[in-house]
Amino acid sequence: MTDIRPGCLTFGELADYWTVDVPPQEVERIEAHVFECARCARLLAEAEQLRSGIGAMAKGGRFQAFVTDGLLNQLARDGVRVRSYALDPGETITCSAWADDEVIVTRLRGDFTGVSAIDAEMRLETGEEWGRTTDVPVREGATELVLALPASMVRSVPAASTMRITLRAASGPPGPQQSDIIAVYVFNHEGAHERP
Amino acid sequence: MARVTGFGAASLDAFADGSLARAVAGTEPGQALDAESELYRRFAPRVRLYGLKHLRDRAAADDLAQQVMLIVIERLRAGEVRDPDQIASFVLSTSRMVAVGLRRTEARRERLRGQFDCGEPEVSIDESSLDLARITPCLTALRERERTILLLSFYAEKSAGEIGKALGMTAVAVRVSRHRALASMRTCLETRRPA
Repeated sequence: MTDIRPGCLTFGELADYWTVDVPPQEVERIEAHVFECARCARLLAEAEQLRSGIGAMAKGGRFQAFVTDGLLNQLARDGVRVRSYALDPGETITCSAWADDEVIVTRLRGDFTGVSAIDAEMRLETGEEWGRTTDVPVREGATELVLALPASMVRSVPAASTMRITLRAASGPPGPQQSDIIAVYVFNHEGAHERP
Repeated sequence: MARVTGFGAASLDAFADGSLARAVAGTEPGQALDAESELYRRFAPRVRLYGLKHLRDRAAADDLAQQVMLIVIERLRAGEVRDPDQIASFVLSTSRMVAVGLRRTEARRERLRGQFDCGEPEVSIDESSLDLARITPCLTALRERERTILLLSFYAEKSAGEIGKALGMTAVAVRVSRHRALASMRTCLETRRPA
């Protein structure tokens, strides 16, 4: 029976197997162990399911996240339909989502000098909070943050409503009142459109 | 030597891989069906995982698993596996050898696709066997930077170094965050497992 072997691998090591980080000699070490060990083979399969599940979610445009151009390039290679907007701080734009859009990308430009992380809040003009995210990493020298949203989520925003995104430095203690506002962006949402 | 032929599949769980391999060694087709089935049940999924890593295609990984296990069983029957106790190692080396051949076949297919511009296949296959309805809330519940790291690692296939550069983190910090995020995902998925 091959259920447990000496030197069993951690889930983290087995998940790393599915990344590009793992060096060839480590790949061989993991494979040699997994072929001998049923327990680690099951964990490796579990890690693979997680990896492919995350991939399927991304391909289906079912995620909300601050992303990089590398991820947007992958979406383009996979044929995901992306609609993009770009805003400067304080800018107001008119926006909409079409029925066949899958992901809406918003490039939020700003001066992020000295900021290592931000908190973002999305709020409708009615005061209703529509979304909030904290601890978004900001690399040194960044001039924009790229927010990706599922188009289905944007289509659910009532037509003719105004959405405000506020970015705050996350360096202070939690709570909006203690953090510094970096920029506010305003979206006049036209609603969802069907192709003729 | 352990005799494993004629036993129900459930009882074969207790046998070592080497015992199963010895039970198949030197037999005629059909004489050690239980042991052959058990070897297949144990090793075909591992070969498939190997294929997913190295061939990066689900159909090719399935083909690999079928081909490798066929070769392994035939070589065992023919008495050509020198040490049945090392059957796991034999399956792995066979996987490496067959994968090289499949990669060449795939390269030929790619060249033909380029030549004839066949386009995308008509049928798209759901790539994930994990229920998206379970995984979506678990990914959403992660901290922002952890969610981004998982998407960049497992979808955009970026290295920890590339991710770190994009997010203003060290590669080591990216790996630590990735492990923490995966642990959270596993816990979350476990709580959402259907009864």
